[in-house]
Amino acid sequence: VPLELESARVRATDMSVLEPALETNPLREGLEQERVPDPSALVIFGASGDLTQRKLIPGLYSLAHEGLLPAGQTIIGFSRADHTDDSFRMAMREACDTHARTRPVDDAIWENFAKGLFYIPGSFDDPDGYQRLKAKCEEADRTRGTGGRRIYYLAVPPDFFAVICQFLGQLGMANDPETEGPYTRAIIEKPFGHDLQTARELNRVAVTTFRERQVFRIDHYLGKETVQNLLVLRFGNGIFEPFWNRQYVDHVQFTVAESIGVEGRGNYFETSGITRDIIQNHMLQLVSLVAMEPPAAFEANAVRDEKVKVLRALRPIPLKEADRFAARGQYAEGSALGKPAPAYRTEKNVSPTSNVETFAALKVFIDNWRWADVPFYLRAGKRLPKRVTDISIHFRPAPYPLFSQMQDVKTHRNVLAIRIQPDEGISLKFDSKVPGPAVRTAPVTMEFRYATSFGAEPPEAYERLLLDTMLGDSTLFARRDEVETAWEWLDPLLKKWESDRNSPPMYPAGTWGPEAADTLIEQDGRKWRRP
Amino acid sequence: MNESEVRVDYASIEKSLADLWRGQNQADEHAVTRAALWNVIAHTSTQNDQAHASETLSHAAAQVPQRTIVIRSQPEEPTEIAAWISANCHLVGGEKQVCSEEIAIVAGGEAIHRVSPLVSALLLPDMPVAMWWVGDLPGDHAYVKRLLESTDRLIVDSSLFNSASDLALLSEVTRDVATNPADLNWIRLEEWRAATAAVFDPVSARGRLAGIRALRIVSTASTASFGDSTESLLYAGWLSSQAGYDAQSVAHDFRTEKRTRDFGSLCSVEIEFADGKTASIARDDARHVIVATLDGKEHTLDCVTRVRSQDLRSLIVRQLKRPEADRVFGRVLPIAAALASRMAA
Repeated sequence: VPLELESARVRATDMSVLEPALETNPLREGLEQERVPDPSALVIFGASGDLTQRKLIPGLYSLAHEGLLPAGQTIIGFSRADHTDDSFRMAMREACDTHARTRPVDDAIWENFAKGLFYIPGSFDDPDGYQRLKAKCEEADRTRGTGGRRIYYLAVPPDFFAVICQFLGQLGMANDPETEGPYTRAIIEKPFGHDLQTARELNRVAVTTFRERQVFRIDHYLGKETVQNLLVLRFGNGIFEPFWNRQYVDHVQFTVAESIGVEGRGNYFETSGITRDIIQNHMLQLVSLVAMEPPAAFEANAVRDEKVKVLRALRPIPLKEADRFAARGQYAEGSALGKPAPAYRTEKNVSPTSNVETFAALKVFIDNWRWADVPFYLRAGKRLPKRVTDISIHFRPAPYPLFSQMQDVKTHRNVLAIRIQPDEGISLKFDSKVPGPAVRTAPVTMEFRYATSFGAEPPEAYERLLLDTMLGDSTLFARRDEVETAWEWLDPLLKKWESDRNSPPMYPAGTWGPEAADTLIEQDGRKWRRP
Repeated sequence: MNESEVRVDYASIEKSLADLWRGQNQADEHAVTRAALWNVIAHTSTQNDQAHASETLSHAAAQVPQRTIVIRSQPEEPTEIAAWISANCHLVGGEKQVCSEEIAIVAGGEAIHRVSPLVSALLLPDMPVAMWWVGDLPGDHAYVKRLLESTDRLIVDSSLFNSASDLALLSEVTRDVATNPADLNWIRLEEWRAATAAVFDPVSARGRLAGIRALRIVSTASTASFGDSTESLLYAGWLSSQAGYDAQSVAHDFRTEKRTRDFGSLCSVEIEFADGKTASIARDDARHVIVATLDGKEHTLDCVTRVRSQDLRSLIVRQLKRPEADRVFGRVLPIAAALASRMAA
């Protein structure tokens, strides 16, 4: 992969929402850090939560470390926990010491970063808390140059969205200037609803206070470098796109495997299951990026228009023969990474009679010109043998089996494998002649690995997404119609599974899922690729 | 680093490299991956410079994998040529060893003219070529041009230049051989350019760019070395190029302050506009910040985070991480060279 395709530099920006001043300043031409945003007040609702400590503050610190945050950037934590500014700073310093990508934490950088950290204690339904928050934001405008710009990060369960939005609206803290002026943006974390109805309700709540262009729905998979590189791989190179269609592609596989179980998230997982947790958002985002048509421009809405077309073209799963298109499972006792692993039903906060699926596999068709009758196989699960996210494009065989007519010669399919995580990279498998007098072939791979070619560790997805929000670039965020279309397609299957009183098939922890998953693909004469 | 002397012909060097990789894979417990994004040639003329370049690039290779070729060219020495190969390996994620290779070529007397074709044969195909010229550019244009024939980018450090003519020479040489010029001193200016750009980010301030009438730049200096002034010249050239005014029509005042460290670094810049008002950009060492003011309003670009490492290794890495030629620098260089000539006159 040529260096010039390094995604961070070639990604264009959403010109429609970027501050025009930054785009036309001739002195910005050619600067390494072209995209340093204007300072804003970033309010984190749910600041004492796990996400804030593991991802958000460490991600913001790493941005500061890379020189990508403006001087006056202000971060205001808001939650019920009893913190002062100082105790909040201390807690966040510990969080960065543990979770920041750029460790050890640099004292000088931290000191500067911490000056912009503040905390407002309050519950989400307490009007006084919002008044204090408003006053703190206005103080930041005066003292730190945030200029009225606001970003509200709702790192809270969806139940609180409505009340938070309501107060922000009532206090005039969610204005949407039509022309130049201070912006207000809201970042929403998944789950974006529990089904189509709740997703629509959530979106309705959001847009009563904010306009759609102000809402940034985070799917952190989209912030991963390898996911962004899918677009560069496809549309930045001349050689792949001609083969990227039903004429040459036999099928496509997607695997999102986790070796861990629910890890204390039993309460949440009991209401979601793997399909809602992974497939409805992350996997369908990956499917749409792999299957989309080239966008007319590399701009937020053009990209998202093409993605949503893919989702609209998903063939509905025929519920009467759902087993031919979908398989689910739940992990039983087994072993993971060499240690005994308990059954899902014995995990904390999980019902001992739970029928929630911890594994799901789907066969999906995209009914359009490019992909007609090409199966896309998706599988996601917990307590699988290893943590890996992988996409593989399996090509059709050569049109005439020239070498297969010879004795001992077995040819293999070409596979383009895109490793999303860990050890991010791309490999291409093809056959090569084994040296020697006889004509024998063996599969070999050409490999590209990010860490090998680019040395440095890629930035955390949250870093990229937080920065993009500050810059007003929504390309890597899910749009309302994407979310709702995905639910619309998946809802019938989820309802069918929920109405089924039978237990899902069990699979031992540490294996690649239930037999039904193998049957799903083997009935078509194919096999899951071992990622 | 494993190092071994090899016969000085292309085939022998490549064969020795292949043997080296096979040996590396068998000897190490970690899988070895060979990687390259660049061919980087360092041209040196002393043993010290050669060692320095080799060490710098072996560290840079951890972030920008490359085939490194370090040349030591000494025309005054007896005619002979020798070569060594070695592999620079580093662990990625504690598991996999990623290795880049280094070829050292030492040539003396007439043998220096054998270096160019040898280097040309040793370049990895399909990978861009950067030539890092350590020290001053020599007067022998033909020699330089031969070496630059297959080179996409010529990297110099103008803070080491001896005279105004060196800037002109860089401009001329790179124009003649279609090699893109690059300067480590230009990378040192990045934060200053960003700080200055921030002053003009507001649309209301943008119009002031057309009304620049004078520029006062203060930099640090050790002695009366020309190299200490090149950062100021490049800054002035940049502002002229990007703001779109004729550098000859603006009054330039270049001053230096004696300091015991940071030679050549900028201390402060004052931009005067047609209406008599000024913008200033100044380094605040205590806060590790660069502070910019326009009409009395401070644009604090903070920032400890913005002040990045200026050590040679980091500058080389930052330069090599730029995949494309720096078009802005290409425009700035002739302007800076013209300003240097005017200053010398």
